[in-house]
Amino acid sequence: MEEWRFIDFGPVDIRDMMAMDEAILKGDEGNTFFFWTPKKSIILGFFQKAELELDLSQCQDYTITRRISGGGIAFSDDRCRQINYGVVGTIDNDLFPLDITKSYKQICGILIDTLIHYSLNAAFRPINDVVVDNKKISGNAQTRWEGKLLQNGTLLLDFDIEEMLRISNIPIEKFMDKKIASIREGLTWLDRELKEERNMDEVREVMKKKFEERFRVRLKPGTLSKNEVELAEKLKPKYYSSEWVYR
Amino acid sequence: MKQGIHKSKGGLIRSFVGTENGIIDDISISGDFFLFPEEALSKIIEELKGAAAKREEIQKNIEATYKKENIQSPGTTPSDFTESIMKSLE
Repeated sequence: MEEWRFIDFGPVDIRDMMAMDEAILKGDEGNTFFFWTPKKSIILGFFQKAELELDLSQCQDYTITRRISGGGIAFSDDRCRQINYGVVGTIDNDLFPLDITKSYKQICGILIDTLIHYSLNAAFRPINDVVVDNKKISGNAQTRWEGKLLQNGTLLLDFDIEEMLRISNIPIEKFMDKKIASIREGLTWLDRELKEERNMDEVREVMKKKFEERFRVRLKPGTLSKNEVELAEKLKPKYYSSEWVYR
Repeated sequence: MKQGIHKSKGGLIRSFVGTENGIIDDISISGDFFLFPEEALSKIIEELKGAAAKREEIQKNIEATYKKENIQSPGTTPSDFTESIMKSLE
């Protein structure tokens, strides 16, 4: 059986992680599946403007950076109960179709299989969401580079809606309770669906197994290559710079 | 400048457009949509500078850049960008 590299970066500064993310895409180590746990942070999508999306005066204790893929904010509060993954793969084959939405669907299948394992009614919602009973539980973002794709995504185990609203650049509304109730209708997380807190390592193990089944490969623990480490070091200043984050 | 906000199936498009004598001379587009290759958004913006601030002109202009740069934007079309820009011009 084909072997693919697997890396668990653990808790990590999101700026370092985004540099490694880009280095894996642009490196030469081939297909890779990886996890990381974001510390308290906000990652902007490639096309977003920080001052339009965020109330920056409320974000001072957050690490903020930007990723190279589009889509919306990925926000992690200090509970850090979310599983972030990355997939790098060569496109235009059975595993990773050229069609963007189809390739999203294929990779999001790992999350759907994982949620079904927990007896949840999970489904893909084009273009890039995974839902449980039509509530979003996972957001995903893909970019492509020289015949390869990089997909990042998050599986929410817990989510603090009030904190998200606090840092967002939305007018404080009179009917904040209604706003929260309406977000609760559209968004969910694993702890809430299962009515208990699952161990994150356990959920990650299920995801790995579902990945191996879906892609018919064996995940082999590995590390970044020397080239990737060097590339990540070169890329880091970008992710730390205000030119990149606040452009 | 007024913010034009339009939600496409692929995400929210925010735009700010300035004009002089009916010609676009300042424009920014941001949001949580997807567009490949990512760098091509700046090409769309560049091409729009100097174009007439009219719906048809704007849409044709964006469509031409889509073709030239081989842009793919799942869930978002040139008319979605046009709609956001027109809302900013209102």
